[in-house]
Amino acid sequence: MDVLLFFSSEDKVTVHFINRDGDKLTAEGKVGDSLLDVVVDKNLDIDGFGACEGTLACSTCHLIFEDHIFEKLDAITDEEMDMLDLAYGLTETSRLGCQICLKKFMNNMTVRVPEAVADARQSIDMSKNS
Amino acid sequence: MALLQRGRCCGAAATTSLRRLVLGPQGRVCESHVCSQYRASSSLPDEKKEFLQNGPDLQDFVSGDFSDKSMWAEYKGNLKRQKGERLRLPPWLKTEIPIGKNYNKLKSTLRSLNLHTVCEEARCPNIGECWGGGEYATATATIMLMGDTCTRGCRFCSVKTAKNPPPLDLNEPYNTAKAIAEWGLDYVVLTSVDRDDILDGGAEHFAKTVSHLKERNSKILVECLTPDFRGDLKAVEKVALSGLDVYAHNVETVPELQRKVRDPRANFKQSLQVLKHAKKVQPDVISKTSIMLGLGETDEQVYSTMKLLREADVDCLTLGQYMQPTKRHLKVEEYVTPDKFKHWEKVGNELGFHYTASGPLVRSSYKAGEFFLKNLVEKRKTKVI
Repeated sequence: MDVLLFFSSEDKVTVHFINRDGDKLTAEGKVGDSLLDVVVDKNLDIDGFGACEGTLACSTCHLIFEDHIFEKLDAITDEEMDMLDLAYGLTETSRLGCQICLKKFMNNMTVRVPEAVADARQSIDMSKNS
Repeated sequence: MALLQRGRCCGAAATTSLRRLVLGPQGRVCESHVCSQYRASSSLPDEKKEFLQNGPDLQDFVSGDFSDKSMWAEYKGNLKRQKGERLRLPPWLKTEIPIGKNYNKLKSTLRSLNLHTVCEEARCPNIGECWGGGEYATATATIMLMGDTCTRGCRFCSVKTAKNPPPLDLNEPYNTAKAIAEWGLDYVVLTSVDRDDILDGGAEHFAKTVSHLKERNSKILVECLTPDFRGDLKAVEKVALSGLDVYAHNVETVPELQRKVRDPRANFKQSLQVLKHAKKVQPDVISKTSIMLGLGETDEQVYSTMKLLREADVDCLTLGQYMQPTKRHLKVEEYVTPDKFKHWEKVGNELGFHYTASGPLVRSSYKAGEFFLKNLVEKRKTKVI
């Protein structure tokens, strides 16, 4: 039932998330929403995302951006950098989803949810730093 | 059954008037939809009507009958998560809604003294049982020191997180001691959030609380469930030498899943070191740790973890079922059956732990363990060294 036909769509941004298992999840948010807000509000099936509820005290909302989008993102703060450094599988275009707020230029962008950990089925040698 | 029919009639009348009141210009579009909905419900096929009439009554929901233990073995629901699925809660994990005099008394005492319990903050399913007093009428609560906000965001824990939580309440050690003395508790568990924003991680604060407590009541048994203090062994020492009886620190899961489950600042080796060091500086202390099952670990991993813990001379082990606290946290990968938990209990006893508390609802400070530990600590005290 969609009676919102006359509702302005000018502040809506569509984001595609490539989940850890390769599935593509598409969701829509408003300009100003953070990517964490989108994941939580739209109930996207991304395991353990946003454990600290966006307070820059974890790195579970780690996302990988396309190059051309990454360049246009707001500069990273020291606080975000500290937490991002702890994230698994860090890349050149990584950011924390809770700090990235939707802007119009992000419409239809694709972000990738990186692996949270090395394949848990492999056993780890206890002599190494676990 | 009459309740249902009556309800439907009233509901329809209410909907009609509501429709006129609330909806403005859009009303016209919705109106027809609601209208047709109403018309549809009054012309249900007979078999549907019968289905509703013979269905559950309000009585069935409030009767208070819990799932029969004998039916647990027959539970046919999925216990291992498939892709895209969210597992349903099996019957052996359903608990009573916490009510009762003792529960309310505890809750109001805590509020009036401005204390926090991990029972509430982390939504423990046993809160009704432990606070209610259980069969032995020993109400137990696990007091959370240093506030209700943690500096880490682990993916299994729903305690609030912030980069810079409010500063420590310097009166907390005194207030906590006073409160516990007021209750007349004889076994208390003190735990805390991680405070990476404080230089010693809060170790001094912790130690002071224990010593105040022991001063007020030397007979009280104190267990401390501490953070890893970021591996700062001096901090571990401070707490271990404060006069406590049991030093607990949870490794949470098998080494292979540490990175996935816990905050990256925590790891297995560091946690094991905390436990080893506590024993080293205070050989009389009893060490204890806890593992959550159901996060995707294999049996081999659990067994080898238990061996590692025993080799580190950890005295007591508790095993419980991980339950997803909110949708932001990790999904449950598997619901381990009560029989499997019993198996791990046997394994733990065979490996030589002084005590292995193992069950779906067992948590690090679950009351059953305390009762036993109380005996254990008393035994140790009277033994001639």
